Amino acid sequence: MIRTLVPRAASRATAKPFISSQIPSIQQPAFCLYTSRRRGYATEAAEHDLVIIGGGVAGYVAAIKAGQEGMKVACIEKRGALGGTCLNVGCIPSKSLLNNSHLYHQILHDTKKRGIDVGDVKLNLKQMMAAKNTSVDGLTKGVEFLFKKNKVEYIPGTGAFTGENEVKVNRIDGQEQTLRARNIIIATGSEATPFPGLSIDEKKVITSTGAIALEEVPKKMIVIGGGIIGLEMGSVWSRLGSEVTVVEFLGQIGGPGMDAEISKTTKKILEKQGMKFKLNTKVMEGDDSGDGVKLKVEAAKGGKEETLDADVVLVAIGRRPYTAGLGLENIGLEADNKGRLIIDEQYRTKLPHIRVIGDCTFGPMLAHKAEEEAVACIEYISKGFGHVNYNAIPSVMYTHPEVAWVGQNEAELKEQGIKYKNGTFPFSANSRAKTNLETEGMVKFLSDAETDRILGIHIVGPNAGEMIAEGVLAIEYGASSEDVARTSHAHPTLAEAFKEAAMATYSKAIHY
Amino acid sequence: MPAMSPTMTEGNIASWKVKEGDSFATGDVLLEIETDKAQMDVEAQEDGKLAKITQEAGAKGVKVGRRIAIVAEADDDLASLELPAEEPSQEASATSPEPSKSDTDAPKSLQKTATSSERTSPPPSTSPPQKQTYPLYPSIVQLLSENGLSKSDADKIPASGPKGRLLKGDVLSYLGNIKSAYSSEQSARISKLGHLDLSNAKPAPPKEAPKEAEPPSKDAAAAPQPEPVAEPDTEIAVPISLSSVLAVQKRIQDTLGVTLPLSTFIARAVELANDDLPLSAHSKPTADELFNDVLGLNKVSGARTSRGTYMPQITALPLAGFVDSSAPQSSSKLDVYDILTGQKPSAAAKKRAPVPPGPGIAIGANTGGATNLFSVSASKGEEKRAKSFLERVKTILQVEPGKLVL
Ligand SMILES: Cc1cc2nc3c(=O)[nH]c(=O)nc-3n(C[C@H](O)[C@H](O)[C@H](O)COP(=O)(O)OP(=O)(O)OC[C@H]3O[C@@H](n4cnc5c(N)ncnc54)[C@H](O)[C@@H]3O)c2cc1C
Repeated sequence: MIRTLVPRAASRATAKPFISSQIPSIQQPAFCLYTSRRRGYATEAAEHDLVIIGGGVAGYVAAIKAGQEGMKVACIEKRGALGGTCLNVGCIPSKSLLNNSHLYHQILHDTKKRGIDVGDVKLNLKQMMAAKNTSVDGLTKGVEFLFKKNKVEYIPGTGAFTGENEVKVNRIDGQEQTLRARNIIIATGSEATPFPGLSIDEKKVITSTGAIALEEVPKKMIVIGGGIIGLEMGSVWSRLGSEVTVVEFLGQIGGPGMDAEISKTTKKILEKQGMKFKLNTKVMEGDDSGDGVKLKVEAAKGGKEETLDADVVLVAIGRRPYTAGLGLENIGLEADNKGRLIIDEQYRTKLPHIRVIGDCTFGPMLAHKAEEEAVACIEYISKGFGHVNYNAIPSVMYTHPEVAWVGQNEAELKEQGIKYKNGTFPFSANSRAKTNLETEGMVKFLSDAETDRILGIHIVGPNAGEMIAEGVLAIEYGASSEDVARTSHAHPTLAEAFKEAAMATYSKAIHY
Repeated sequence: MPAMSPTMTEGNIASWKVKEGDSFATGDVLLEIETDKAQMDVEAQEDGKLAKITQEAGAKGVKVGRRIAIVAEADDDLASLELPAEEPSQEASATSPEPSKSDTDAPKSLQKTATSSERTSPPPSTSPPQKQTYPLYPSIVQLLSENGLSKSDADKIPASGPKGRLLKGDVLSYLGNIKSAYSSEQSARISKLGHLDLSNAKPAPPKEAPKEAEPPSKDAAAAPQPEPVAEPDTEIAVPISLSSVLAVQKRIQDTLGVTLPLSTFIARAVELANDDLPLSAHSKPTADELFNDVLGLNKVSGARTSRGTYMPQITALPLAGFVDSSAPQSSSKLDVYDILTGQKPSAAAKKRAPVPPGPGIAIGANTGGATNLFSVSASKGEEKRAKSFLERVKTILQVEPGKLVL
C-alpha cells in the first residue's frame, strides 16, 4: 500500500491554547510553567478536551475510547445509570426476558418428546424480572467501573448547550455545573415514537419500556407495529401466556430491511407458536378510557373496519431521535424532518467541533452501529480519520428462532437492477439441527451473478444471531460465496448450514 | 506537508532524518520542519518505509497538504512499487498565488487537513496490481490452478477488494470470463454502500413546534426559545499594553533561542485571571450559567468567588496619527485562532472582507506602544466580575509577565 505522507498530527488541538502539547515534540527546555501554574491554582473547572452528552452505547464507548487516547473527557448522563437505552431498557433487559421466557416455554411444551418428564411448571414473574434487573445492574455498574479505569469523568445530570463550547449540567444531586470543552459529542439517543391518539401510561398503553416491566401477564395484548422490537416483546408475553396479536401496516413483518422470503418463513414459525398477525392493517384510533383498550383498525388499502380489544397495547411503531432540552437552538444546530441531527461523513455538525453519533442521527438505530461510530468519531478527533463500513452492519431479531442478516436483500438488489444468484440451505437438512430437534428455518446467500461476490446473507433459524458474524466478516473482506464454501466448518454444527448455503450459491449443496 | 498547528499554512523542510529506501518504526523522527514560529520534528505514526522524498531538505514555503514524500508499508518491496502521481489540483494550489481554500478557512484547518489527507490517497477501486500479502482466498487459488497460473501471477492482477485485496471477481475479470471493468465497478458500488447515507437529510422547517408533545404555549412563535430573551450584554474593555510581554518574549528568545508565542502568555494570563472572581450581582440561573463552578462548593465554604470562563476579545488599538484612512481598518475576520496562537493576520487573511473594528493583536514592535483593547461581554449584574477579570489580566501582562513562564 502506498500512502502519501500527510498530516496525522495536528489532531485534537482544535482551538484553545491551554494545552502545551499542541505542537508535538517541540522543545521547551526551561518551561515547566504548566505544572507550576497547576500547583498554585488547583482549579476544579479546567477546560475539557471532550464533553459527551449522553451515556448510552454511543456516549459511553466514545468516552472510554477518548480516555484511552489520553483526552480529558467528561460524560453527562441524566438517567442516573450509564448504558443508555440499550443497557437499561433495551437490548439487555429484553434479551434477559427473551431467554428466560423461552426456557419457561420450552420446559412447558418441549420436554416430553426429549425424554424429560417435568412436574409442575410455574411462572414466577417477579423473580424473572429480578433476574433481568440483576443483569442490567451488573452491566451498568460495569460501565461505571470502565469509566474509572479509563479516567473518564462521569457527571450524572442533564446537559444543555449554553454556548458553542459550553455545556451546562443540571446535576442529579441538585447542583449546577458548567463545562467548557474543545470538542463536544452529542449522543442523546432515541425514544419510542408515540401513537397519535393513545396516551402512554406504561401500564395499559405501553412502549418497550413498559413491556419489560409488566407486573402481571396480560390476558390479551395487541402490538402495534411488527418490527423487531414489537416481535421480540410480543414473543416474550406470548410465551408467558398472553394472547398476542400484531397489527402491521406493511405487508411483511420484521421491518423493511428483512428479506421478504425470510420474513414470510419467520411469520409462519411465529404463528405456529401462537402469535396472530394482521398485516396491511392500519390502526385508525384507540380508546383507553375503559378497563382495557379498544382499537379501531382498517385494511391499509381501505376496506373493512374492525374493533380489537386488549388488556395491554404495546406501541412499537419505531423510535425517533431524542434531543429535547439540549439547547440546540442556543447554538443553531439543525435536525432534519425526522428529527435526526444533520451531520457530515465525519459526524460533524455545521459547528465542526460538535459531532453527533448513535440513534440521534442518521443510520440504523442499533447499539453496535452506535459503538462503531463512537470509536470512529474519537479517531476523527484524535487522528483525523476513522471508518465505519455501513454495508457490514448486521441486524438480529432475537425471537425463537432468531433472524439475522447483513448486506442487501432481494428487493434491494432488484431495485438497483443487479443480477444475483440465490443459494439457500434449510436447517431441516443440517445434522446438528436435527439432533437438537430444532429444524425450522434456513440460510440464504445472495451473490453477484458475475463475480460471485457476496451481496447479502439472510438467516432464520437456531443461533442465527451468532452465525451472522461469519457473514459480516465475509462481506467485510469482499469474499465470494465460493470462498466461504471452500472454508472448513466443524461437524456437526449449525454453521455447516451456512457453508452449504454458500455451496448452493456458487455450485451445489452436498446434503440437500 | 503536515499541519503541526491549527494555523500553520506552510512550512520549510529543515532536514530529512530518514533516507529514501530506509525503514522506520512508529515514533521515529522522519524529518524536521520549520515554520515562522518554531522548529519541530515529524514522527512516524506507523511502521513503514520511505519510498521517495519529493520535497528535499531546504524546500521553502511548502503548503500544508502538499506531498512531501511517499511512504510504503514496512514489508513492501520498493523496487516493484508504482508510485502514485500527485494530483494536479494540489500542484495548482501550491503554485497559485491565490490562497487555497484551506488557507482562508484557517480556523477549521483541522478538518480541512483531514479531508485533504483523504484526497491524497488513491481511490480504492482502481488500485493497481500489487503484491498480495495476505493468503489468497480459496476461490482464487482454485481459479489460478484451473487456468494454469501460478500464485505469483496473482500479484499482476489489479485488485479491487477492501484494502487492496484480490477478489474472485478480479481474477474472473483478468481471465476475461467477465467484462474487464465489472469487478472494479462493483467494488466502487459496494464501497459506496459502506458510507452513511446522508442524501436524504432534509432540514426541518425552521420554526417547528417543539418536539415534545407539550401543549403549545400561547405564543407559538416564541416556543423554540425556552428561556426569556436575556438583557443585552455590556461590552467591557480595558486597554492593555503588551510591551512587557514582548520584552520577556525577547529575553527568552535571546537566552534560550526559543520563541514562545504571545498567545501562550495571554492564555496563561487568562487562565490565572479567571480564578476566584467575585460572583455577579444577582444569583439567578441566567447568571449562574456563566459561572464555571460547582455552586455547592461555594455554599459550603461561604466564599463569594468562583472561577470564570472569560475569553477576552483582543483588538488592536489604532495609534494616533497612524490610521490610514484609505485602507479599511486592519483586516481579518474575528479570528480567535489567530489571536490565540499569536499568528499575525496572514496575507491571505488580509484579503478577507474587512470587518470594521479590526481585531488582531498589535505587537507594534516599531511603534513601541503595543497597546491592545481586551474586551469581554458581561450580562447585567456581572459587570464587576468581568471588570476585575480584565484588571487582573492587565496586571499580569503589564506588571509581571515573567511570572507566567517561571
Ligand atoms: C426494547 C429495545 C430493544 C433493543 N434491542 C436491541 C438489540 O438487541 N440490538 C441492538 O443493536 N440494538 C437494540 N436496541 C437499540 C439500541 O438500544 C439503541 O440503538 C442504542 O441504545 C443507541 O445508543 P445511543 O447511545 O445512541 O442512545 P441511547 O442508548 O438512547 O442513549 C442516550 C442516552 O443519553 C441520555 N440523554 C439524553 N439527553 C440527555 C441530556 N440532555 N443530558 C444528559 N443525558 C442525556 C439518555 O438518558 C440516554 O441514556 C433496542 C432498543 C429497544 C428500545
